[in-house]
Amino acid sequence: MCNNPTTEDPTKEHAAERWLIGELKTVRQPLLISIIAAMLATVATVLQARVLATACHRAVIDGAAVAAIMPLALYLLLFALLRSVLTFYAERQASAAAALLKKEVRSRLYRHLHAVQSRGRVADSSALVEAVTQGVDYLEPYVARFIPHLAVAALFPLLCILLLFPLDWRSSAVLLFSAPFIPLFMILIGKGAQNINCQQWRSLAVMSGHLLDLIRGLPDLKICSAARREAAAVARISEGYRQSTMAVLRVAFLSAFTLEFFTTVGTAVVAVIIGFRLLSGSLSLVDGLFVLLVAPEFYLPFRTLGLSYHARMQGVAAAEKLAPLLAADVFSKPLPELVAVPEKVLAIAFEGVTFRHGSDRGGGVTGIDLLLPAGTVTALVGESGAGKSTLAGLLLALASPQEGRITVNGIDIALFSPQKWHQRLAWIPQKPFFFCGSVRENLAIGLDLCSDAAIYAALDAAVALSFVTQLSGGLDYQLGDNGAGLSGGELRRLAITRVLLREADLVILDEPTAGLDRENEQLVMAALTQVAKERTLLLISHRENTVSWADRVVRLVDGRIEQPVSTARNAARWRAE
Amino acid sequence: MRDLLTILAVARSRWSWMVAGVLLGVAVVAANAMLMAVSGWFITSMAVAGLSKVSFNYFVPAATIRALAIGRTVGRYLERLVTHGAAFRILAELRLWLFCKLVPLSPGLLERYASGELAGRLRSDIDSLETLYLRIIAPLATGVITISVATLVVAFWSKTAAIVLFMGLAVPGFILPLFARWLAEAHGRESTALTGALRTAVTDGISGKAELLLLGAVEKHAATVDDLSARLIFEQDRLAAVSAGNLAALLLSAGAGAAALLLVCTAQVNAGALTGPQLVMLLLFSAALFEAAGGMPAAMQLLPAAAASAGRITELTAAALPVAEPLLPQVLPTGFALSLQDVSFSYAGDNQVLSGFNLELPQGARVALTGDSGSGKSTVAEILLRFRDYQGSITLGGRELKTLAADDLRLLIAALPQKPHIFNTTIRENLRLARPEASAAEIAAVVYDAVLDEWIARLPDGLDTRVGEGGSAVSGGEARRIAVARTLLKDAPLVILDEPTEGLDAGTEQKLLERIDCRLQGKSLLVITHRPAPLAIVDRVVRMGAETGRNRL
Repeated sequence: MCNNPTTEDPTKEHAAERWLIGELKTVRQPLLISIIAAMLATVATVLQARVLATACHRAVIDGAAVAAIMPLALYLLLFALLRSVLTFYAERQASAAAALLKKEVRSRLYRHLHAVQSRGRVADSSALVEAVTQGVDYLEPYVARFIPHLAVAALFPLLCILLLFPLDWRSSAVLLFSAPFIPLFMILIGKGAQNINCQQWRSLAVMSGHLLDLIRGLPDLKICSAARREAAAVARISEGYRQSTMAVLRVAFLSAFTLEFFTTVGTAVVAVIIGFRLLSGSLSLVDGLFVLLVAPEFYLPFRTLGLSYHARMQGVAAAEKLAPLLAADVFSKPLPELVAVPEKVLAIAFEGVTFRHGSDRGGGVTGIDLLLPAGTVTALVGESGAGKSTLAGLLLALASPQEGRITVNGIDIALFSPQKWHQRLAWIPQKPFFFCGSVRENLAIGLDLCSDAAIYAALDAAVALSFVTQLSGGLDYQLGDNGAGLSGGELRRLAITRVLLREADLVILDEPTAGLDRENEQLVMAALTQVAKERTLLLISHRENTVSWADRVVRLVDGRIEQPVSTARNAARWRAE
Repeated sequence: MRDLLTILAVARSRWSWMVAGVLLGVAVVAANAMLMAVSGWFITSMAVAGLSKVSFNYFVPAATIRALAIGRTVGRYLERLVTHGAAFRILAELRLWLFCKLVPLSPGLLERYASGELAGRLRSDIDSLETLYLRIIAPLATGVITISVATLVVAFWSKTAAIVLFMGLAVPGFILPLFARWLAEAHGRESTALTGALRTAVTDGISGKAELLLLGAVEKHAATVDDLSARLIFEQDRLAAVSAGNLAALLLSAGAGAAALLLVCTAQVNAGALTGPQLVMLLLFSAALFEAAGGMPAAMQLLPAAAASAGRITELTAAALPVAEPLLPQVLPTGFALSLQDVSFSYAGDNQVLSGFNLELPQGARVALTGDSGSGKSTVAEILLRFRDYQGSITLGGRELKTLAADDLRLLIAALPQKPHIFNTTIRENLRLARPEASAAEIAAVVYDAVLDEWIARLPDGLDTRVGEGGSAVSGGEARRIAVARTLLKDAPLVILDEPTEGLDAGTEQKLLERIDCRLQGKSLLVITHRPAPLAIVDRVVRMGAETGRNRL
């Protein structure tokens, strides 16, 4: 039910709701039409009640015949049809508003996530995925249900009071006085309980996560002879969950109880008041019945709003996640003019480069001075967290150094247009990116023109031709999710093909041979030799075979260069250690 | 439908809670309808009495109205508590049942559930069964009972009115739900598929963000995401249209029903078969019932998805055991010499992985298996653990593996699988899985032997650090060493280590191997590796055939 936890911080909640209401501007028109149609539908409801009351009066008091009632029955049908059509139209408009908003926000959010300056590796990509997919979906109930329900709850009860007051002020007074209690009690009891309620649903998610975790780890449980023990734990956790949840629900349902109490008792009191006025003869049956029929309708918007209160919480909770993401600064450089990237990328120099990640997570670099001469292969080694990937990210201009600068032929890369700079370099991460599509599409991604002949030549150079031609369909072979269907070594060689096709001058490789067996490792290394021709390479690795191939080895320890740039002979000595 | 019944049958011991929830639901609807009916009858009677100046005993009806109002409110509260209580009880039974059913099927049949989207589907399948009673069974049962009982009650006063009412209620109660279900089915299926596709595309795009940027393909990928998003939102909008249509049809049928009843009952008042107050009573009673029937289409709309979930789960649990258990298992051997003779294995798609494989591992000996990926190294370990069946003969201490109970056999083996699973709990709990009764000193010893000591000493929470989902909060090398420590903690005579040093740097690898070497003195050891370093701690190296026999598609 409540998949989205709300925060306890009310200011954050208000800010999120303000953002959400601001977003509604784009869908103002369908939303307004929806509210108007919904209000008209309630007017049709009131007319229905009036006709029914009139018909009863005629039949009971005047003793009218069926024929005399017939026109009234037809009116009843007509107003029912009107109400039905208006309700349908209102719902459709509300849904259209939600669809429009979801489409717009998702598209903007996804592009925005790509545009913001990335600070090293994406820390929690699953939370971002969640925001783009389900987070945006959760805006729907807020727009399509909560907002229209809120409008009707604000307007319709007033209309009822205006209509009923001249007929019977006493029952109008009952309705008028009971109404404010409903939101009041709902807020008093509901808010606290709903929060706990949400935590419970969150713990439900934790519980189902626990079961899934156990199922995924079943082989390990069996190896540890722990399956039976864990079955007992599943039963215990489920039972504990039930008890704690029921304790919370007993309180949470009180809010619904209060709502029901006031609406039901209010209707009952109105019925009794009307009854006595009818007995005294001071009210006609038609008016009395009309009041009785309208009384539940008077309360209905409050009940509906109570039910959609949850939709509001979901929407606000989603907004709390979306708003900060959309507010994050886009990577923009206040530069009057950009400098063209040198025709042939030659020497690259890190000059006193320092970069620290936010919070206390490691992986930053401090005071890096490093030269990558043109046409050389430099290996960057060090334990994980030593700052290797950070250094690569800075060179890729995915982030800018906080101190120092990186130059190409003496020009600071911060002066280049990022797009132009990116066109000159290539990066092969540990897990190269492949989308669902043909081998050809994956190789030619981002290229305007790319002939099959060029692809075959690049495949040949990357020692990938033989396995690609063996695939059914060759270049048309469809890759699955993230390259499913091909082995790690094969994907690595496809990524290298991609680099060769792009004619990049600087190539950065992250652990090019990790997780490969000897045969595949040799094939990848053969392909890399092709890449190294006339290009500058930066190699991140801790594997001896890979490092031995480099011209120079740089060792990073805790974000600093431990060992100055070594010559090939030094590298040999390092290997021997 | 049959699958849903199978699932419900699992929770049959909770039938009293399920029935109580439904009966309370019926009572609440009845109280509400009677409240309106008695109120209508009461005020009409008062009006008639007021006009004809006859006395009317208003104490009983006025008190009844108040009692019904309170009864309805309290009943509603109780109904909510009981149905939720029942739902959680059913959920507990289902989870336990599912877990116990899946244990013997793992890993042979569950492999396909190991990866992202399928695991997500299993999760949503379980979640959707959680709402089976609360959102589907209870509302439908309540609706059917209410409609039947209400029709009989009205028939007491007027048979014609009862027939008209039943016909009117059948539209929202039976016809609309079926129609809605039919309309929503394809859209629901499509939107589930698109949700998965969108998630995959967004995950791809975000994890490959930097690379997309460098390849200049951000806009192309964003267009793909936009397209999927638009298609998903279209399907969601279609589903919303079905709901809106339902609501509109419900309102129309309620209005039409009221009009028809008005005519039928007026005719009976004219004929003297009904009194005026009874006319109003029947009209208001019926109007309240339409509200109650309104919940059925929503429940019906959820039914196809729940049935599909139930189908997938029952299909999974009903699968034949991948490895047959012996009828009369032999007692465990006392010696642990392992001998594989002419062992063959092939996957279902007759992809021969092992054929005529022989291996001798005398008690206390140490052997390394090497070979290219796909040569069946890891399959040997899985066969020894009885995760996969085999042809040929494998004996441990002279007993054929097939004649031993698999659970008993695994007591004798401590194994590090190729892809160990790290559970989303603390490091300590991950280790204790292998031996819950392990003392602090024993845990400290394995932490040292798996070269985790320095790292754990640096962690603020030490052994109580949580490792995240699938070990996401620790690095790959740390996760592997946690799994190694877990394996070492299980003190079994035969140890199998599949790639124990994968992802470790050379220094750590060396340290780990030295400590393992020291700890495993006297035990039989089978190491599977493609790295050269682990070969130093074994007596003998067996290189497996290079022919992988892999076939695609």
